[in-house]
Amino acid sequence: MKLAELQRGDKAVVTSVDSSGETGMRLIDMGLVAGAHLKFLRKAPLGDPIEIQIRGFLLALRKEEAARISVEVTGHMGDGVPMGKRERKGRMKGRRHEGKA
Amino acid sequence: MKEKLKHIKAALAGNPNSGKTSLFNGLVGAHMKVGNWAGVTVEKFEGYVRYKGYKITFTDLPGTYSLTAYSPEEVIARNYIIDEKPDVVVNVVDGTNLERNLYLTTQLMELEADMVMALNMYDEVKASGLEIDVKQLQVLFGCHIVPTNAVKKEGLNSLLDHIIRVYEKDIIVKKNKLSYDLQIEGAVDSISNVLREDAELAQKYPARWMAVKLLEADQLVYNQVTGRAVWLNTERVVKAAIAGNEDAPGAGLRARIASDRYAFVRGAVKETVKGPLGEKKSITDYIDAVLINRFLGLPVFLVIMWMLFQFTFKLGEAPMGWIESFFAWFGAVVKDSLPDNELRSVISDGIIAGVGGVVVFLPNILLLFLGLTFLEATGYMARAAFVVDKVFHRLGLHGKSFIPMVTGFGCSVPAFMACRTLKNRGDRLATMMVIPFMSCGAKLPVYILIIGAFIPEGMRGNALFGIYLFGILVAALSAKLFKSTIFKGESEPFVMELPVYRLPTAGSILVQMWIKAWMYLKKAGTVILAASVIIWFAGSYPKDTAGAEIFEGSALEAASLPEDERQEAVNRLENELAARQLEHSFAGRAGKAIEPVIKPLGFDWKLGVALIAGLAAKEVVVSTMGTIYALGDTGGDVSTLTERLKANPDYTLPMALSLLVFVLLYVPCIAATAVFHKEAGELKWTLFYIAYSLTTAWVFAFLVYRTVLVFSA
Repeated sequence: MKLAELQRGDKAVVTSVDSSGETGMRLIDMGLVAGAHLKFLRKAPLGDPIEIQIRGFLLALRKEEAARISVEVTGHMGDGVPMGKRERKGRMKGRRHEGKA
Repeated sequence: MKEKLKHIKAALAGNPNSGKTSLFNGLVGAHMKVGNWAGVTVEKFEGYVRYKGYKITFTDLPGTYSLTAYSPEEVIARNYIIDEKPDVVVNVVDGTNLERNLYLTTQLMELEADMVMALNMYDEVKASGLEIDVKQLQVLFGCHIVPTNAVKKEGLNSLLDHIIRVYEKDIIVKKNKLSYDLQIEGAVDSISNVLREDAELAQKYPARWMAVKLLEADQLVYNQVTGRAVWLNTERVVKAAIAGNEDAPGAGLRARIASDRYAFVRGAVKETVKGPLGEKKSITDYIDAVLINRFLGLPVFLVIMWMLFQFTFKLGEAPMGWIESFFAWFGAVVKDSLPDNELRSVISDGIIAGVGGVVVFLPNILLLFLGLTFLEATGYMARAAFVVDKVFHRLGLHGKSFIPMVTGFGCSVPAFMACRTLKNRGDRLATMMVIPFMSCGAKLPVYILIIGAFIPEGMRGNALFGIYLFGILVAALSAKLFKSTIFKGESEPFVMELPVYRLPTAGSILVQMWIKAWMYLKKAGTVILAASVIIWFAGSYPKDTAGAEIFEGSALEAASLPEDERQEAVNRLENELAARQLEHSFAGRAGKAIEPVIKPLGFDWKLGVALIAGLAAKEVVVSTMGTIYALGDTGGDVSTLTERLKANPDYTLPMALSLLVFVLLYVPCIAATAVFHKEAGELKWTLFYIAYSLTTAWVFAFLVYRTVLVFSA
């Protein structure tokens, strides 16, 4: 699955990065290499770019750039999510399984 | 005493937001000078400190995350270390953000620089309950490490002590080497062995570093090596190594090398940092939850920008008034104390008026910079770019373009300079080209005059707002046009750190603000001085001797009038003479010469003169109109001019709107154009920009004029 497809609060590990060209160099310089753990924090108010937490700092990148990064979901931030959103979270998880199959 | 001083050359290297600038300021204090790195528009800060019989000079290298060859900043930083060979490289590391900061350190290790690490923000590290085993970290990274708090100036003397120790080779820590996986190590070994055959090259650059860079496909290192005899063998080995390791098309090796560096860093951090783990929410998380919230993000952005403008313009009003009256007073004093000749005229009407026109904007510029620097230093600016990036991306620009564009509402000069944050040349030039359409502060008096004369009372505010909006619209369309034609394809990736929120110190903000303001004064000041003299000359020569004779005659007649009428008559005559003189001058002739071109827009030659004079500075349009309508020195009072414009049957609403549009869009002042030229670096772009803004202004003014004519007929 691609980094841009993650949902708010998802935790994931980077599986591969297209590191060609300047953009690729930028991504790996910021620590987006295979094996790096990250957390998907939010999308910008207009839907793009996205914000992630990686290696202890906050990184913003466009979906266009995030499309170069493949990830695997490892968990979800449980804390701080209002009760009302629990149901939605469950649904998302279901969808993820579907995608994998 | 003086000859005993030993000279140490030190360079500061580190990530953006690592506190490098604060450390630099703390170390050198007032002994600092700002310049430019040769050939690029990146600021260069240098300073020195005298300490224990040493004079240590510091060069503050641009803040970078890495030392690849992509951005000018990275190339500057690494070339400085390689070519200038500073005695000591001080690597400033944000202790609260070790993992990413130490990535750069691994690259500095590879450059085999003599290094001292300033483990900065150490107070925050301790406050968060973390403990760093500095001794072990020293061993792993093979350099002296000094905990510092740059903002509180703690640890600076200790840092200087260690710089001296490294310089004197009184070193306690052995340099360490970072190892890659076996395959890569094998390739690095064989490549560097071949490279060492070229003694001259190996003397200049560390062979191991070159080998790694060749595997990373670093263009600059390739260029260094390809021309040499040793390349024949090197190429063979490099090709073999790449063929054996490149699993994915593109740059799999690069990713693996970076991955190994990060693995080394991660291991080092795990080994040396102890403390509370787990996901504790930081203050930044809480602030971001509001400031870049999905719903609040945009409104908050707009409110902050609105506040910035209120702050800049409302607070700037009073000091602007003081400066204005000071220059008026000063000009009058000079006029009274010098004999009536050409020199007096050039000093009071040319130089003082011209320089006053620039200095008058200083309060606004200072306040705008103060606000921008504050937003930048707190960490909000990066968020603002994050919030608005999508809009700018649609136009083909970068989120970061919005800072220069916002600055453009104040003055184009600092806005052009602010474009330096854009690394990509296409992004930068496209942004610079559209900045003049963001209506600058000097155009406001012109709008007020025209709107006051022609727009009905209730509509004036809307008209003013509309003009600003129209400027933004033209800027957006132009940016889109540029990025889909001449600067097609060139775009900087949006991969940006959002730094944690920090409350900056007043001192650091004031220093930053002052540096920027000084650059503005230096640039605008020198150019505007020359420009004002030129414009003065164009308006004063050739002399209208015939007009002066008539004036003499009329003045004699006026002398016979009763006392109370006489003064008034003389004033009127003087104003008429000034108007005649302007008409007769080069400026007047130029105005008449361009009349055929501006006639379709509804303008006559008088407006032509005013528009030409406006090239010196936009607000000069108003004072020139004052002169050409023989109103004499109208000062700040435009009401008589407004009446005069209203009374002129040639001047109508369509013409007024057309004039508004033209003033909004046509070439900014000479000072701004000169700065554009300096920042753009090539004459062809300056010429293109002049041609583009003139054409745009003409076309839109024409369209507005004709359309309104049709509807008002």
